[in-house]
Amino acid sequence: MAGAAAEPLTARAPKAWPATLGLLSGPVLWMALFFLVPIAIVAAYSVGVLSLFPTDLGFNLSDWEKFLVGESVYMSLFWKSVRMSLTVSVVVVLLAYPVGYFLALVAGKRRYVLLLLIIAPFLTSYLLRVFAWKVILGDQGILNSFLVTVGLRSLDDPLHWLLYSQFTVILVLIYVWVPFVALPIFVVLESLDRSVLEAATDLGASRWGAFWRVTFPLSLRGIGAAFVFVFIPTIGEFVTPSLVGGPGGFMFGNAIAGQFTQGLDWQKGSVLSMFLLFAVLLLILVLGRFVQLRNVRVA
Amino acid sequence: MAGDFNSLLLRRLGRRDFMRYAAVLGGAGVLAACKKAETTPTGPVGTGVQRPPIEDEPGILQVFDWDAYGDGQAGYGDEALWKAYAKAFPGLEPEFTKFKDDDSGYAKVAQGDRYDIVHPCGYRWGDWVGLDVLQPWDTSLIASFADLNPTLTAPGQFDGKQYFITTDWGFAAPMYRSDLVEPEEDSWALLWDERYADRISWWDSLNMLVVAAYFSGIPDPWAMTDEELDQMKGFLISKIGLVRTLWPIDPSEDFINEDVWITYAWPSHWVNAAIWNGLEDTVYMEPKEGRTSWYCGFALFADTENYYHAHEYVNAWASAGAAEWLLNNYGYGHTNTAVDLDKVDPGIVSTFALDDPSVLEEPRSHVERPIARRDVYNDVWEEVKAAAV
Repeated sequence: MAGAAAEPLTARAPKAWPATLGLLSGPVLWMALFFLVPIAIVAAYSVGVLSLFPTDLGFNLSDWEKFLVGESVYMSLFWKSVRMSLTVSVVVVLLAYPVGYFLALVAGKRRYVLLLLIIAPFLTSYLLRVFAWKVILGDQGILNSFLVTVGLRSLDDPLHWLLYSQFTVILVLIYVWVPFVALPIFVVLESLDRSVLEAATDLGASRWGAFWRVTFPLSLRGIGAAFVFVFIPTIGEFVTPSLVGGPGGFMFGNAIAGQFTQGLDWQKGSVLSMFLLFAVLLLILVLGRFVQLRNVRVA
Repeated sequence: MAGDFNSLLLRRLGRRDFMRYAAVLGGAGVLAACKKAETTPTGPVGTGVQRPPIEDEPGILQVFDWDAYGDGQAGYGDEALWKAYAKAFPGLEPEFTKFKDDDSGYAKVAQGDRYDIVHPCGYRWGDWVGLDVLQPWDTSLIASFADLNPTLTAPGQFDGKQYFITTDWGFAAPMYRSDLVEPEEDSWALLWDERYADRISWWDSLNMLVVAAYFSGIPDPWAMTDEELDQMKGFLISKIGLVRTLWPIDPSEDFINEDVWITYAWPSHWVNAAIWNGLEDTVYMEPKEGRTSWYCGFALFADTENYYHAHEYVNAWASAGAAEWLLNNYGYGHTNTAVDLDKVDPGIVSTFALDDPSVLEEPRSHVERPIARRDVYNDVWEEVKAAAV
């Protein structure tokens, strides 16, 4: 009837819950089976409750103790990986922001086509993209050949550090992640209320002023999300370092992989894995507090 | 009908009828015996094991092996290693699963993966037997077994049974480009020669601790004490900054591209560089401390359903024909002593001294042997890598 108040949500809830439960059951079951259970298994390996070989010790915290309290070279390796991932994440966000800005606020009708072009490399094999860098950066690669041709280097003295170094790992990871990270920034910027930007200009703000005082603060959520999107996977990275990193590019993920596949010390490998998981969870909590994720609305 | 049957039973049999019925019964008996023989267990004599005949086996072998050791995917033509098997069983190509190295292959089986055949190397054979997933071979079913070098097949015996058929062997040694590198002497020291910083490649393996130990004069590199391991760890950490790459599978690409000039190498890497890629200045060193050598062989899983096919496959791999291919294409030794070295590339014969039996003996070569504290060695090696800056 006209003017009648809408039925309150709480009155509708009892009828809706079976459907809600039904819809949620699939994702919850998936998360439980393929996320929580594997983590529990790894945790069990880390304390010796499960073991690869029947001769291994039972429940014990010896590897946890050696890693956290003893002089473990792996803790230094962890901080080295944090430094490399931080470098990658910061540079990726700095490079991806202009891309996201251009797509959201400048490209106009062509933005989705351009977006497709930017993410097109994801259609190719990851390994192929990494190996392509070996062709570019090797001693006889494209870059060194160019430097020799223009006389900046000699054939006997190419730039060695371009390939198989920390620099290579950081460069390749940046290349891989920039297109991906442009997406959350693009989404946040595209959803901005343009009238706010117009109001800033109408009130006399310069273009830079409007960007710095209006656009940039409103896009911080996207930047935070982008940073986390890169930092979490790169801190555990091991494929790129093993392909192009050399000994210098060795990361924490390589140590974990080595314990499981070569060292066959699954307890130690599980300790390193669980530690990495806890570190990443802590980071998400801190960043979540910073970007106030609770206030993010679904577009 | 009943009446006829009764009349048959009751009537007297004449001689002709008797002979006729005896022939029928005798023929039936022969047929029954033949059929019984087909399904009678044909396992090894004395074992009493019941096995279906080969034609009743599924036939598609599941082979767990090194890369390019028969799967043919790299384009090297390595399917030739089981050529005789392919000829005998057309259309029954094996399915290959590859492992990166012995340790990862062993880990997969330890956690439950099963195949028909696996091809591990000798230093872990005791561990494989300890997994209790293998069964011994029946060497009477492997015609080529008689031609195999008994010195190398002996390590494949456990409790008097042949658990491993040793087929291939090779070396590990420094390899370098003589047009770019001038070693001070033939020594493992080339792998940490500061003059060639950033031009060196090591194998990503605890074997680097062993060769460092031979260089350092450690009495038994395969059974180092904690102090000796600590010493080698410190030594390698001090030298790893000179290393450009740690190769997990193959250093050939970097060596051929001249991204590295010196590498820890197997004979196949020399063949790849010197013969397939024409880098004639590639030298496979015989260091004064001695090369290390390895041997590998086939094992049979206990729950295989392709028992006889597995024997036939290994027989093909162990043949002189396979030996010739392996020598010519990978430069690896083969345990088949009937191979004609005149059919092998002379460059390969001379580089690896295949015609000199002493090449595999101490002190020229140190055969890889089980490391009792392998887990400790692995921990130390992982710490060396983790300490690289």
